[in-house]
Amino acid sequence: MSVVGEFTKGIYKENPVFKQALGLCPTLAVSNSVQNAVGMGVAMTFVLVMSNIIVSLIRGFVPKKIRIPIYIVVIATFVTIVDLSMAGFAPALHKALGIFVPLIVVNCIILGRAEAFAGRNTVVRSLMDGLGMGLGFTLALLVLATFRETLGNGTFYGLPVHWKGFEPMLIMILPPGAFLTIGLVLGTMNWWDRRRA
Amino acid sequence: MKDVVRMGGILGIVTIIAAGVLGAVANVTKPRIEEQHRLALERALLAALPTADPRAIVPVKDENGNILYYKGYADPDTTKLVGYAFLAIGKGYSSDIQTMVGVDTTGKIIGIKILSELETPGLGAKIEEIRHGEKRPWFQAQFIGKTKKDLLVDKDGGPIVSVTGATISSRAVTNSIRKGLERLEKLIGGFKQPAQQPAA
Repeated sequence: MSVVGEFTKGIYKENPVFKQALGLCPTLAVSNSVQNAVGMGVAMTFVLVMSNIIVSLIRGFVPKKIRIPIYIVVIATFVTIVDLSMAGFAPALHKALGIFVPLIVVNCIILGRAEAFAGRNTVVRSLMDGLGMGLGFTLALLVLATFRETLGNGTFYGLPVHWKGFEPMLIMILPPGAFLTIGLVLGTMNWWDRRRA
Repeated sequence: MKDVVRMGGILGIVTIIAAGVLGAVANVTKPRIEEQHRLALERALLAALPTADPRAIVPVKDENGNILYYKGYADPDTTKLVGYAFLAIGKGYSSDIQTMVGVDTTGKIIGIKILSELETPGLGAKIEEIRHGEKRPWFQAQFIGKTKKDLLVDKDGGPIVSVTGATISSRAVTNSIRKGLERLEKLIGGFKQPAQQPAA
């Protein structure tokens, strides 16, 4: 696959949320507002890219038997950097994302990319893969958050979007709304893919 | 056996490097994080005591150094007392809701600001909602001008309109403020009587 292909595959063809169905817990929890989705997406992309680069750099001397604990240490280091920086420089976002920033450590998208890709590919390819997967994750969150925030709260990125007689459907920003939305989006994507095939 | 030592050594080196990096990052961000906490508290105090001079809000501590309440003065020389501020903490639906509350010397609320809450987004979190075109969160604005006896939500027969579907969060804020006010009253030995309207 070309280097550009390593980047673009994460956006649709191998989208971590919609195609690989990984990292669903934070996806469902944080997609209740567009602002949270953007913040989580940026944090995830940073950790993905950095951990992919480091894992790829050290792949030569990491013994196979202890690769997973080493990957986890690398990932946890970058997550802590993100967490501390957010608390210091973006306190409002840090407060809104709450527990989900530290939980990036156990997000299977990141360990999945380290194990399946960065551990056996060059630095440049791993960087492109991390960027693409991060972007794919962010886009998936944005799609869900757009539906949920507009229907459930009548706003988009905090700005009011409603029409005459609009009543916010509270259920959309609560957990059931997350399941309903992701189910409908996945169903639509499968229908589309099948129709084209 | 040789393998175990080698693996342990490599893992050890990796963790030592990681710890070093994190130590450096923590050093850089620690003062910033403390600064953010200080700023949040300062902003809340200013919102709670809008009539006080920002340089003249002084904490009153107990013998162990815990802050009991704050005194706000209108002048930097701290001679003209305008009111008191205190932190009210109530158990909400999914978090402890911390509210900074300011009262004048007669015990009437002059400002409030919710410092931290992690209530359900879209329901309880609406205690911090600012409606479009307004400057202040509507739920908090209704506390201004209230005294101890008015601090009950509508479901409990009081005048405070609770957030739809979030009586628990609304009640937590309201009751914590009432309790805080009663505690403050005891600590300062009673509020001043409101000034009587001069007879016409």
